[in-house]
Amino acid sequence: MPDPVDASRLSELPLENLLACHECDLLMRKPELANGEKALCPRCGYELYTHRHNVVQRSLALVIAALLLFVPANFLPIMQLNLLGQTSHDTVWSGVVALFDTGMQSVSVIVFLCSMAIPLLKLLCQLLVLLSIRFDIGRSYGLLLYRIYHHLRDWGMLEVYLMGVLVAIVKLADMAAITVGIGLVCFIGLLLVQVWLEVVMAPHQIWLALSGEDAHAGD
Amino acid sequence: MRAIDAGILICAECHELNRQEAGTDEQVCTRCGALVHERSPNSVVRTWALLITAAILYIPANLLPIMTVSSLGKGAPSTIMAGVIELVHYGMFPIAAVVFIASILVPTFKLVGIGLLLFSVQRRQPLSARQRIWMYRFIEFIGRWSMLDIFVIAILVAVVNFGRLASIEANLGAIAFASVVILTMLAAVTFDPRLIWDNTESDDDHD
Repeated sequence: MPDPVDASRLSELPLENLLACHECDLLMRKPELANGEKALCPRCGYELYTHRHNVVQRSLALVIAALLLFVPANFLPIMQLNLLGQTSHDTVWSGVVALFDTGMQSVSVIVFLCSMAIPLLKLLCQLLVLLSIRFDIGRSYGLLLYRIYHHLRDWGMLEVYLMGVLVAIVKLADMAAITVGIGLVCFIGLLLVQVWLEVVMAPHQIWLALSGEDAHAGD
Repeated sequence: MRAIDAGILICAECHELNRQEAGTDEQVCTRCGALVHERSPNSVVRTWALLITAAILYIPANLLPIMTVSSLGKGAPSTIMAGVIELVHYGMFPIAAVVFIASILVPTFKLVGIGLLLFSVQRRQPLSARQRIWMYRFIEFIGRWSMLDIFVIAILVAVVNFGRLASIEANLGAIAFASVVILTMLAAVTFDPRLIWDNTESDDDHD
């Protein structure tokens, strides 16, 4: 546990030995963490940072897997609907197009951003950041891209979209015959890989690696 | 002790510590180059502005139809609440509950919750710091789930597309509703959680 006591001397310590909670501004001595441990703020319980091994390699593998799944997840049919002999397909992309064509351009743009564009941009940012650490090139761009990634983070909503698919299936279930498509499998795969990636890619270690303060982050 | 009292600023983006420089208005983070501030500038005012806009749009979002289901030439516009009631009529209670929570409870809770947070940060009164931080985290976590109904509409519009036989189109209510969700998410972003702890009496009310 970080140690918040002896306030008077705390401010004189060098910054490297200090840690402050981003959510409540509590200043502490920096604790030493072993692999797999995490530091929590003693006042508000915010997770200050975690330490994991092999962050860069494992994250790279996951980013590449996610990018491979991205195209089939968004362009292969999620479901097929059969009504009195007529069939129609639904993909993530066709939802965007259909909204756009029926005059709901603004909603269509929001759906496009939250379910396709931002998840893709997030993955590309993560890929470039990891490559920049791995091959030790373009660190300043890496820092900028990682900042952009953090701003985009909350706006990619794959898991909400999946819940939307479930609700839509239930709503349509007694109106017509539904078959689930391969796109849905890819979409769930993409979602799982992306969540796993967010867990593995510990921000604290990535920031340290990007600024060259932690030589071991790439291990 | 707070970092601000020690003259240390936390970068909002990469969480690096920076010693406060005297006499500069625009200090940048030594690691990532983002602007660092003691507290997010005008956090309370900006959050209020976004919150009030969201509250105004909340009315059309709930009263206007979000989509129209037409079959055999007859159109039936439905609002968010009507969609939930329809699911209940079909006996699909779990899904009805999910939609009700995501589309009705969560947006309402967010509007009230952010308002309470702002009020208690400004006036110190109604909530303890623990309750406030719990509320802030809950709002931050739950906010995105309100987009559920918008995604459902996108899927339905795309898939139910059989001409005169059956078709679904989105209506104005959907724009208002999407705006409410986005504005409340922005309000959660502009709110600086450090303000929650600034006016608590003692520094040591942790365990």
